Amino acid sequence: MSDFAGMEDLLQDFLIEAGDLLSGVDNKLVDLERSPDDRGLLNEIFRGFHTIKGGAGFLNATELVTLCHLTENLFDNLRNGELAVTPEIMDVILAATATVREMFASLEQGMQPAAADPDLIARLRQAIAGDLVGSASEACAPATPGGQSAGGGAPDWELLHGVVTGVARVMSPVREAGPLAAVVPAAPVRPPEEVIKAAVGRRVSDKPGAPVSTGRRDGEKQRDNSIRVDTTRLDQVLNLSGEIGLTKNRLNALRSDILSGRNDTETLHSLDIAVSQLDLLVSDLQNAVMKTRMQPIGRLFQKYPRIARDLARNMGKDVELVLAGEETEIDKTMIEDLADPIIHLIRNAVDHGVEDAAERVANGKPEKSIVRLEARQEGDHIVILVADDGRGMNAERLRAKAVEKGLITDEESNAMDERQSFNLVFLPGFSMAAQVSDVSGRGVGMDVVRTNIQKLNGNIEIQSQLGKGTTFVISLPLTLAILPVLLVRLGDQPFAVPLSMVREILPIEAKEVQEVGGRATMVVRGEVLPIMPLAGLLGWPLERAPCYGVLMQTAEMSFILGIDTFAGREDAVIKSLDDFRPKGVAGVTTLSNGQIVLILDMKELLGSAGDQRWLSRVTMMAKQVATA
Amino acid sequence: MSDPKMKFLVVDDFSTMRRIVRNLLKELGFTNVDEAEDGAVALQKLNSAPFDFVVTDWNMPNMDGLTLLQTIRQTPHLRHLPVLMVTAEAKKENIIAAAQAGASGYIVKPFTAATMSEKLEKIFEKMGKKATA
Repeated sequence: MSDFAGMEDLLQDFLIEAGDLLSGVDNKLVDLERSPDDRGLLNEIFRGFHTIKGGAGFLNATELVTLCHLTENLFDNLRNGELAVTPEIMDVILAATATVREMFASLEQGMQPAAADPDLIARLRQAIAGDLVGSASEACAPATPGGQSAGGGAPDWELLHGVVTGVARVMSPVREAGPLAAVVPAAPVRPPEEVIKAAVGRRVSDKPGAPVSTGRRDGEKQRDNSIRVDTTRLDQVLNLSGEIGLTKNRLNALRSDILSGRNDTETLHSLDIAVSQLDLLVSDLQNAVMKTRMQPIGRLFQKYPRIARDLARNMGKDVELVLAGEETEIDKTMIEDLADPIIHLIRNAVDHGVEDAAERVANGKPEKSIVRLEARQEGDHIVILVADDGRGMNAERLRAKAVEKGLITDEESNAMDERQSFNLVFLPGFSMAAQVSDVSGRGVGMDVVRTNIQKLNGNIEIQSQLGKGTTFVISLPLTLAILPVLLVRLGDQPFAVPLSMVREILPIEAKEVQEVGGRATMVVRGEVLPIMPLAGLLGWPLERAPCYGVLMQTAEMSFILGIDTFAGREDAVIKSLDDFRPKGVAGVTTLSNGQIVLILDMKELLGSAGDQRWLSRVTMMAKQVATA
Repeated sequence: MSDPKMKFLVVDDFSTMRRIVRNLLKELGFTNVDEAEDGAVALQKLNSAPFDFVVTDWNMPNMDGLTLLQTIRQTPHLRHLPVLMVTAEAKKENIIAAAQAGASGYIVKPFTAATMSEKLEKIFEKMGKKATA
C-alpha cells in the first residue's frame, strides 16, 4: 500500500520542511529573474535543492534525488560563474522545480514518485554542460545508466584521507554510496508548458469535467494534522496550566474550610480572590492555546508570487505580486482553507483585472502592473486584500451580463446599486470573460471563493474604480473556536446568533410596521427592511408579534430578526454537533449558569424559509396589538 | 572508547536530517545528543558546554560545515574533537577539502545505521590508538 511503511513520521516531517524549502526556492527564483547575477540568491537556491536531495535520499526517493542532484549541479555552475542565467535556463529550472513539487505530491500519497520527464532530464544535463538550445524537443540524448552521476561510487574516504594526510591506511571495502545514477524510464513526454501549469496547483481539478485527484486531498488531510508551534508558546501553556493547578488547590482548601463551617469575611474574601484569579488564568490559558494554532500567513503567501508570475507569463503580461503583512497571524485551519480562494482571486486579478501592456500604455499607466496581496489585523478581524491596478469593474456591464445569462431579471438589474452589481460576480455561473480562457473564465470559482470564505465565518467585498483597479477585501474572524454571539430569547428559550451579523437592536413599534408586497417591513433610516420573526424561521407557531428586532446583515441581504427579548452578548465556545445536526443550528454552547443554548446558522434558517406565508401575518398581528 | 554516554552535537540546517542522524545514533546506543542548526550556533554550543563528538552537514547558512571544521581545528580547546562530515556532497574535491581541513570521517547521504556505525568505529579506533600511543 504505502511505500513508506515504518517511515511515516519521517515522511511527514520531510514533506512539511521540504515543502517550506521549495516554496522559498520558488520565491527566490522569481527574485532571480530580476537579478540573475545575485550570487547569494544562487547559493541559497543551490542549498535548497541540496537539502531536499539529502532528505530524499533517506526516503529512497531515487527519482527525486536524481532530479534535485541535476538541478543542484546546474546551480553549482551558475553560482561559480561558469554559466549565466538565461531565459532558457530559467525555464528548465522552473520546470524542474514544478516536477519536484509533483514528486512531493506523490510522496504525500505515500507513493514513490515516478521518474521525471526524460526530456527535462536531458535539458538539465544540456544546461549543465552549457549547451542548452532554445528548443527542447531536439534534445533527446537519453540518460545513460550510471553515467554523469557524481554520486555513483564515491571515492574511498580512507584511501583519500591517507593520501591527503600522508598516513597510509589499509583500504577498507568500498562502501555503497547513494545510488544516484538511475536509469530513467521513459515517461510520456509532456510539453514544458504543462509542467508549469502543474506548479500552479489544483487548478485542473476545479474545472468541470476534469478528473479530481482525491488521493492528493487525502494526503493533505493526513499532513494537516500536525502543527509546528514555537516552544515559548507551548511553555506559556504549560506555565498557565500549572498556575491553574495551584489555584485549584487553593480553592479545594477553601472549600474544606467553608464546608467545615468557616464563613467569616476573611475566608469569603480569599474565595473571591481565588475565583477571580482562576477567571484570569483560564482566559489567559484560552488565549495561549489559541495562539498555538496561530501561524503567520506568510507561509501561505509565499506560494503566490511564483504562481502569479507563471500565470502572467502564460498570458504575456508583466505582473508583479507584492506581498505585505506576511507576519499577520491567523488560525491554522483558516490558512489551509484560504489557499484556494486566494489563488482564484490572484488568477482573476492577473487574467481579468490587469490589462495587457499595450492597453496600459495607451491609458498612461506603467507597463508593469502590480497586484498587491496584503494581510493585516483590524480589531478582532483579519483583513486580506487582493488588489490590482487594472481596468476596474464596470457595474453596468456586469448587470447587462447577468441579465443576458438569465441570472437576474431586468427589474432586479435596475434596482441594483454599484456594490450589489459588483457582487454579481459571486453568482454561480457568472463569468465576465468573453472567451473562455485557459486560466479563468469558466464561471467556476468566484462563487466557490465566497462560499469558502463564508464557511470560515468571514465575508468578501469588492471595491472597484473604473480605470484604477479592483480590490477584493476578505475579512475573517481571528479564530473559529470562539464566536462572539448575541443571546436572544423567544419566550423562555434562549438562542445565540453570531454577533458579526448583528448591526443593531431596535424595538419593533406596531405603528411602524408596514406591509409591502405581502411582507412585514419596517423603515430604518430610509431603508425598507423585511421583518423575519425568529419563531417563523424556526417553524414555531407564531403566537404574538415580536417586540424587538435585531438588524442583521448577511452578504446577500439585510433584514430584521423578530424576537421577544434579548439577553446580552457572550463569547460562545462552540461545541459542534457531530452526528445530529438539526437544520439551522450551527452548534451549541453552555452559558455561565449551565444552560445549553443553540447557536443559529442564519444562512440555513433563511434558506429554509421558503414558505413565508407567516410574513404577512406579522403585520396583521402587529396591527391587532396596536388597536388593542 | 565508544562510551554510550558520549555527548554528540549534530549540526544540520534541515531539522528532518537532524532527527534522522539523532535516531541513527540512538540505534547505535548514543542517547546524549544535542543539535545545532548551523555552524555559528554549533560553535556557540561547543564553547559553552563540553562535547565529545561532532556530526556536521556541509551546506548550511551562516557558517557551513567546512568552516566549522576549520574553526574547530584552530581552536585549542576544541581541536581534539572528532568531527564526522555528513553530506550529500560526493564530489572528490569536496572530500579532499574535508580531509585537508582535518575531518575525522566523511559520510555521503543517504546512509544506514550500519554505515554510520562502521565510520564511528573507525574513528574511535583511531582515537584509541592516539590515546595509547
